[in-house]
Amino acid sequence: MSDETEASDPVVRRHRDLERIANVALRAGRISMESGANASATRSVTAAVARGLGAEDVALRLGYASLAITVAGGGNSITRMSGVGRLGVDQRRDTEIRRLAERIEKGGATDVQTVQGELDRILRETPRHPEWLVAFATGLACAAFGRLLGVDWAAFVPVLLAGALGQALRHRLLSRGANLFVAVGIVAFVAAGLGGLGALALRSASVGMAMMASTLLLVPGVPATNAQTDIMDGFPTLGSARAVWVVMVMVFVATGFWLARAALGGFL
Amino acid sequence: MVDLAATSLHLLHQAFFGAVAAGGFGVLFNFGRRCLSWAIGFGAVALTVRTLALDAQWSLEAASFAAAFVTGALALVFRDRLGAAMETIALAGCIPMIPGAFFAHALLGFFALTAPDVPDLQATVFQSMQAFLRVVFTLGAIGAGLVVPGHLFRIGRS
Repeated sequence: MSDETEASDPVVRRHRDLERIANVALRAGRISMESGANASATRSVTAAVARGLGAEDVALRLGYASLAITVAGGGNSITRMSGVGRLGVDQRRDTEIRRLAERIEKGGATDVQTVQGELDRILRETPRHPEWLVAFATGLACAAFGRLLGVDWAAFVPVLLAGALGQALRHRLLSRGANLFVAVGIVAFVAAGLGGLGALALRSASVGMAMMASTLLLVPGVPATNAQTDIMDGFPTLGSARAVWVVMVMVFVATGFWLARAALGGFL
Repeated sequence: MVDLAATSLHLLHQAFFGAVAAGGFGVLFNFGRRCLSWAIGFGAVALTVRTLALDAQWSLEAASFAAAFVTGALALVFRDRLGAAMETIALAGCIPMIPGAFFAHALLGFFALTAPDVPDLQATVFQSMQAFLRVVFTLGAIGAGLVVPGHLFRIGRS
């Protein structure tokens, strides 16, 4: 089919429009999912973008590493699929995407180019806390967790420092493309070892628990609860995949912790 | 009187460190300032409810469900102010209740079973399974507690 025929054929033209809508909706859904949204929220965002841009009907399939969408309009339909990257948690980006989707659904942006531009802006401009603050806050969270678990005051600062260094190390390893599970194992070993050594040096009576608390930054709380809400919301496939991922992360946390305990065995 | 003071102090301790843990994880999850303050508040509420329930001899699972339910319901009450971040903020408040230590205990127990000589096989199997089941039920309780208020709200509206 020549370009001229393609341009004049209304079916082909409509397919081209639907393809653009499907692609931008998938992109919004992918960003939402990579920012830590559960399946229900991802579906809402993707469907709102597609409908706001003119799709009459939207069907979505959510997988752990891919999204597929079928959009229909004017008697035609098209199906497209997109890969999904590493699932993290970025609340500000997630909120921005949800706001954008709401705006599009209410008719705030009606062409694909504008929406693509908005998505680019969100990816480029959403602020992030500085790395040192994230590391310190994570260490503080581990130390607070430790207190909730009964870690004594002597081990508070060692757990804080071990958690902070663990987070800094995790950031470095992941930004250099390390496998997530290997990175988790390494961080668990280092954080538990440092927390344990610090607690020992300060004569804490809860060295074991301090080692445990130092690794709590690695507990995947958001994916664990997302797994359950996904299953409850009618997405058992994605929920089960998340649950398996959570178990794998915890296996590597336990391995790193176990190695650290073995390395410190003579002192415990 | 001494008991009441000790109980209040324990409650304050748990609420404070629940708030700190929720705030710390809020920073890790890239919360903005306004959302961060809500997450800190919800962390304190969640740990207060859980501690009160545990003090009333509830199981950890039931106490976690009650705490998550109250947090989810509070998020719904303030949904207009929380906006699109409502669910994530409620979840961050419940993060300090995730039983990560139980999970690690369970896995370490399972690792111990692979040793050539397990000193107390039955006790190790029993304790590991118990810790694992508590993780599953507590996580289930938190997830359900967070989701159920939203579903009840939708039923009430329709």
